[in-house]
Amino acid sequence: MSSVLDVVLSSAFLAAVLRVATPYLLAAMGGLVAERAGISNIALEGQMLSAACTGALVAGYSGSVAAGALAGVTVAVLLGVLLAALRLELGADAIIAGIGLNLLASGGTAYAVFTLLGDKGGTSGLKSGTLPTVPLPGIEDIPVLGDVLSGQNMLTWLAFLAAPFVAWLFYRTRFGFHLRAVGEMPDAAASVGIAVRRVQYAGLALSGALAGLAGVFLSMGYVSFFVRDMTAGRGFIALAAVFLGGLRPWGVFLAALGFGAAEALAVQLGTLDVPPQLVSTIPYAMTLVALALYAWRRKRRGAGEVAPASL
Amino acid sequence: MTSTLIESEDRREYRATRRRGLAVDLSMTLATVLVALVIGFLVILATGKDPVAAYEALLTGPLERSFRVGRWLEDATTLTLLGLSVAIPFRARQISLGAESQLYAGALAAATVAIFLPLPPVAVVLVPLVAAAAAGAGMGFVPGSMKARLGANEIVATLMLNAIVVRVYDYLVNGPLKEPGSSAVHSERIQPDSALTPLTEWLGIPFGRANVGFLLMLLTAVALWLLVTRTPLGYRIRMTGSNPHFAEYGGIRVPRAIEWSFVIGGAVAGLAGAHLVQGVYGRLEPGLAGSLAFEGIVVALLARNNPLVVVVAGLFYSYLRAGGDIMEQQTDVGTEIVVVIQAVIVLLVTAQALPDLLKRRLARGPAPAAQGRPVTGAASNGRTSAGGHTDGRSGVGGASHGLPATGGRVGDRRRGGTDPQGRPGAAHDADGDGHPGGARGEGEAR
Repeated sequence: MSSVLDVVLSSAFLAAVLRVATPYLLAAMGGLVAERAGISNIALEGQMLSAACTGALVAGYSGSVAAGALAGVTVAVLLGVLLAALRLELGADAIIAGIGLNLLASGGTAYAVFTLLGDKGGTSGLKSGTLPTVPLPGIEDIPVLGDVLSGQNMLTWLAFLAAPFVAWLFYRTRFGFHLRAVGEMPDAAASVGIAVRRVQYAGLALSGALAGLAGVFLSMGYVSFFVRDMTAGRGFIALAAVFLGGLRPWGVFLAALGFGAAEALAVQLGTLDVPPQLVSTIPYAMTLVALALYAWRRKRRGAGEVAPASL
Repeated sequence: MTSTLIESEDRREYRATRRRGLAVDLSMTLATVLVALVIGFLVILATGKDPVAAYEALLTGPLERSFRVGRWLEDATTLTLLGLSVAIPFRARQISLGAESQLYAGALAAATVAIFLPLPPVAVVLVPLVAAAAAGAGMGFVPGSMKARLGANEIVATLMLNAIVVRVYDYLVNGPLKEPGSSAVHSERIQPDSALTPLTEWLGIPFGRANVGFLLMLLTAVALWLLVTRTPLGYRIRMTGSNPHFAEYGGIRVPRAIEWSFVIGGAVAGLAGAHLVQGVYGRLEPGLAGSLAFEGIVVALLARNNPLVVVVAGLFYSYLRAGGDIMEQQTDVGTEIVVVIQAVIVLLVTAQALPDLLKRRLARGPAPAAQGRPVTGAASNGRTSAGGHTDGRSGVGGASHGLPATGGRVGDRRRGGTDPQGRPGAAHDADGDGHPGGARGEGEAR
């Protein structure tokens, strides 16, 4: 048991938590923005995957990491807008359309990589490079803190800024107010002159951008290549974090951080006797229980027999 | 006398409507598939490959040798069972994404029984099947009862359950159930008697691993069709799906119906797991089902949740999957193009307003492009509440009772609320993008 404690308290582990949590934090914020705009973005997974693939490919061919990252995020934004268009223009079910987009991303990225590189696995043959890490001059030399904080990828810092950014956006800006109003009650929002659809498009584009950053981190943050289906369900987990966090920025932040910590823990414990697969089920089991408790409490309060769409 | 006359006339009319609905359904499905294939063709063309050769391999390949037919039937069995498993909750307008957890639970149950439990001749095949169905049903019951009794979101619940069960499965295959003394990660083989009889043994044609599971799948489809269309429970599930409030008012215990739809769906997905263990692999393999669980959703959507049509859609889609592999072997086009085609199918199927738009345009003759657009957008945007799936459900609901009914109603209503410029209730439209009118229209329809 002491060995587990040693692992958990090591600075390497804490640094790993920050790193592993990065995609969850970014994608979960993306999911939150979409959810509050009234369109569930189950396509997070596909957006991350497309961004990861596009980023690695463009960076590899152009030789510019920045161009790759930008292209990756752009693709994810376009997928977000496409989801909004399917929902708003063509009356598609957001969930089913999201599943379609995920399939499109999974098949499309694999097809693109195979067509361009002739390799089924990924883009490891391509020299793509990674986004720069950020050394922190003053903190670098402090024993534990320096190891944890310094040298993290710039996207990790961005991920940790995403929560305050979204909180600020939601509660301090006009756009955020409109977004929440639209998600809460579109008819009422429309009746006071909010351009509902424009707000929803913008919300989904922002959602895609955040998910895109998460994807770019996967292929250009810690590693410098794209692997087929490398998101491995992270988009779905991020979506769960959105609900577990009660649709509030800081709640979602904590939930996503928790998922990241649990995954890092599972990786670290792989070296010990504890089965890592079972450790990694903990956050999902917790989410399930939290979901049930939340629903039960709301039902006891008598919120009416018809459950709100979310949770 | 007169009353029976009217009754029979009513019935005739009802049947005629249903026949027309089925015809429209079928032609819509065919058109969807065709458009998706054309888009796939264009993608191959755009990537500088030879689409004709690729499509030749894709479309004729699976039938060229009997073992390829076998591979097709084997794949179709699993995929159709998964399609059936989601079609049932979809009918109750529940978006269950839990087929994955149900399949793995079923596979685990079937394998555990089939490896370790000595049983007399017939039971040795049947008990693992029953165990798998029970395990799948159990996995369906959890999110089902959470939704029905507490109102917890079934999408999140099923996704979490998937994540948990897949990891537990992974642990068991790597740990307690791993074949002792083997370096590869998989379980021991099941007892030979527990295996589902290969079709080769019956028909004398080399069909590879295709087995009686295929017939079992057909039986399941018919049984589910009877359940949905001919039994009180099926009626309750359908009513719950088409209008839960009305169903409640009519004395249907909606939560019960929802719960049952999950349990039944889970049992069927469990059978899919048993088929993989007892029919295909003969043991537990890591990553047993690949992405099949999500592809089952496509099959159900394409079939508009009609169990009999699910069989056709499942056969069709597995055919594409089998053809995709052959295409990759014979040409330089990757099999992933099939997934792209599949994704296009999903997107087309969900775009409910598309056929409606087309119909109206055909009825009116060529109209300016701007005319229909805001109307559709506004109507679909109405009632989007916090999660976006209250109204979003209409996608699945619409699919479950066929597009013509929903499409027609929506079309009529929109026409009703449309002023000469083709905008709904433009007089009340505060921001000029067509919302309030459309939103009100949507409200009335419920």
